[in-house]
Amino acid sequence: MKRINISQFYKGFNLTAFSLVMVFLYIPILILIIFSFNDAKIITGWRGFTTKYYLQLVENDAIKEAFRNTMLIAGLSTLISTIFGILTALGMENKRFSGRRIVSALIYIPLVIPDILMGVSLALLFNFTRVNTGMLTVLIAHITFCISYTVIVIQSRLEGFDYSLVEAAMDLGAKPATIFWKIKFPLMLPGIIAAALLAFTLSIDDFIITFFTSGRGFDTLPIYVEGTIRRGTITTINSLSTLMIGFTLFLVVITKRVRKVLISSL
Amino acid sequence: MEEIKLQNLSKQFDGFTAVDDVSLNIKSGELFSFLGPSGCGKTTLLRMIAGFEIPNNGRILIGNTDITDIPPYKRQVNTIFQNYSLFPHMTLFENVAFGLKIRKTPKPEMNDRVKDMLKLVKMDDQANKYPDQISGGQKQRIAIARALINNPKVLLLDEPLAALDLKLRQHMLIELMNIHDAVGITFIYVTHDQSEAMSISDRVAVMNHGRIIQAGPPDDIYERPNSIFSAYFIGETNLITGEVCDIESEYVQLRCPDGQGSSFEIDSTFHFNPTLGKEITVSLRPEKIAISRSKPRYQDDINMLRGVIEDILYLGSHTQYIVRVGALKFRVFSQHKRVYFDDKALDWEEPVWLFWHDTDTWLIDQIPEEVLSAKEISEGGVNHLSRSAKRQSIT
Amino acid sequence: MNQGLRFTRDQNRKNLASWLLTTPALLWLLIFFLIPYLIVIIYSFLTPDIYDVNFEFSLDAYRQALGADYLKTFFLSFRLAVLTTLLCVLLGFPVAYYIARAKDKLKNTLLVFIIIPFWTNLIIRIFSWRIFLAYNGVLNDILIKAGVIGAPLEIMRTDLAVILVMVYVYLPYMILPLYSVLEKLDFTLLQAAMDLGANELKAFFRITLPLAAEGIFAGSLLVFIPALGAYLIPQLVGNQKSLYLGQVITYKIKNIPRNWPMASALSLILLFGVAVLLLLLFALYKRSKARRRV
Repeated sequence: MKRINISQFYKGFNLTAFSLVMVFLYIPILILIIFSFNDAKIITGWRGFTTKYYLQLVENDAIKEAFRNTMLIAGLSTLISTIFGILTALGMENKRFSGRRIVSALIYIPLVIPDILMGVSLALLFNFTRVNTGMLTVLIAHITFCISYTVIVIQSRLEGFDYSLVEAAMDLGAKPATIFWKIKFPLMLPGIIAAALLAFTLSIDDFIITFFTSGRGFDTLPIYVEGTIRRGTITTINSLSTLMIGFTLFLVVITKRVRKVLISSL
Repeated sequence: MEEIKLQNLSKQFDGFTAVDDVSLNIKSGELFSFLGPSGCGKTTLLRMIAGFEIPNNGRILIGNTDITDIPPYKRQVNTIFQNYSLFPHMTLFENVAFGLKIRKTPKPEMNDRVKDMLKLVKMDDQANKYPDQISGGQKQRIAIARALINNPKVLLLDEPLAALDLKLRQHMLIELMNIHDAVGITFIYVTHDQSEAMSISDRVAVMNHGRIIQAGPPDDIYERPNSIFSAYFIGETNLITGEVCDIESEYVQLRCPDGQGSSFEIDSTFHFNPTLGKEITVSLRPEKIAISRSKPRYQDDINMLRGVIEDILYLGSHTQYIVRVGALKFRVFSQHKRVYFDDKALDWEEPVWLFWHDTDTWLIDQIPEEVLSAKEISEGGVNHLSRSAKRQSIT
Repeated sequence: MNQGLRFTRDQNRKNLASWLLTTPALLWLLIFFLIPYLIVIIYSFLTPDIYDVNFEFSLDAYRQALGADYLKTFFLSFRLAVLTTLLCVLLGFPVAYYIARAKDKLKNTLLVFIIIPFWTNLIIRIFSWRIFLAYNGVLNDILIKAGVIGAPLEIMRTDLAVILVMVYVYLPYMILPLYSVLEKLDFTLLQAAMDLGANELKAFFRITLPLAAEGIFAGSLLVFIPALGAYLIPQLVGNQKSLYLGQVITYKIKNIPRNWPMASALSLILLFGVAVLLLLLFALYKRSKARRRV
């Protein structure tokens, strides 16, 4: 029948596009993973299976230090920006807040500006104030770009907040402090965790802003990897990359699990 | 004008049969309803007529044209969707004009026709509003305008009143009837609400499990159900099972167990020849039963039963009683035609007489059980004793 | 709505509480977001030094930045952003549509498949393409062995490679907003359109597309603006003869001899361009909303 073919054609078209895009998205990554086990210094055909590049990773002090730095920065910036996010989101709950516009502007504008500009502006700031670039400057930079995201995530969770719960608690005689810690905060928790996860991911992934604010001595993993690629010594990069991909998968799974647990426990 | 012929239509989804060999002719200009519980296949049937589902088997014809293979946008059939499906990004005017625009109708003619249609549904002053700015009932009217402007041969309505509240529903029901009279085309209406179907239809098809159980004018289905399903799906009824113990020229007599060991006899006129000794179910509508404290005068063609009032529901214009006869429960509707204020009303646990004409008991010519589920048979009506339960009490 | 009284005492208290809560972030952003831009503005009017800046006023930076030399750079970056956005829309729409129409259980799985590359480190994703597209890389390997081509293709280090990898990286940013809009689309509207005489194609252009416009819009924003300032991708896979804006700015900041005034000027021009674009879009958005209020 002629007609089935036309609507099936459109479905088929979408399916084909979807499959092609999937292939497009995953083939490079898969090749990366496969070649991390390849016994060859540069990418030319398959030479043999080996895990030696993974072992080399462990012995590479520079990578280990970069990893430590990345985790340290990510952890601290997540913590601080999430706290900022909680406070700000709570402050913005009040619809009649007279500073609403200013705060909103400062939160939303960084999101629509190319991040290279934030890198440049911070680099210039540190130069102007004669602050040495290093861990502190990178931390400051990361916190700065994470705040917008944490505020928005927590804010959107607060929007759906059911105030009748607060009223019920007040009706039962609870004091404001109790209400906050026993009712509001637990309900905000999924949003807070989502915000923290987002900040964490953004932080470990960032290159350009870190690039501008890290100076010479302080490397994070993305900085290290980029440098290695640029210099061409890529033997351990494949294995490092595969591990990082694994870590990403791990994060995605964790996020889903955490969300499920939190939703069911409420 | 043209008849709509459904011939042996079947549709399966993943092994589930939604429509099972349905054949029907719908007369031109009729207001025809498909009535049944959720999942009975009525919506699937409608969608097949509209063209959104392709039947696995069977044909659909309008007049002599086979439209089964024609896509929905080429059929002269239009649909009113359950949630109206008005285009949110277009004004009401643009919504109504849509069909004409697609057909590249010249602008002046299009404008005129849209204006006329909006006037017909009394929405001409709101042409520039958007769907999210109007109420449910108004959306309904725009949906109708949008469909009718294309001069379809058939208008399909998929539970159009489901989203409206009660008062509005009653009002829109009358409006739909008026529009049908004004326009004169065939309306095919799908609903699970039997009062809707009964009140506006020329004919109704009662459906269950993908099959048409009974089709005919509303009063036919109500007073002369062909199955237990039809009997209890429409309105309320009492289903009484008994064994044929006597066959006379004008009536048959059934001996009906009262669930407590004894039995009573009722007479019924019959429209088919029952076999002696066979077990038959009759349907007795509650409004046909009279209830009284005093024993009625004996009459040849009146059935009389003694019972005890178990429940009373006073509803103003009438009262509903549940009366215990043995272990059976009879539902009785008593309309308050005249009120005598010094008369004492019937009370709980009061012994009463129930009596009705033997012409009001309707023998049900049982259709094959495969179409009805066991649950439905056992729950049919107020007092139907299932076969298996009866068998158990015997052994 | 105007009230005679500005704030009641309770509202005052709440207002104060809000100020207290938001001040930390407010101050932080003022110091580390707003003020740096002021410094950028200041620096754009200074003269460069090899390692630093000289505090002498000069309009040289702007003269050069707005001159013929950098026209090509601006053009290249603009072209890249446009092409990337366009390709992302064309590829992303069917994908988002497919996922939106999938059965519920499948939807989540499909989304996860889109999100995983999205969360993977940017540099790794770019690197994986370098391996794939390299002269002696996997793609060429396969094509030669399959007999499709005789000599290896030189895709790496070309503008083509840049666009390819840009689309690769930014596609999820287009798919996700598109998906969220398409997911809310009432597909019975398409049936209604077909019922009224529109075939599948017409229904798509008249119903689906207008209703998905918001998603296309959001996605385009998320792709276009970052693409304008792209550094990493052109740097790692592009041909180093024609530089993109992000690269030029970075060189002027990082490489010796430094030219921070120039970098500042270029950055401000980029910022200006983005601001103009956003204001235009905002005005368009407001106008389309106003039209509906008739």
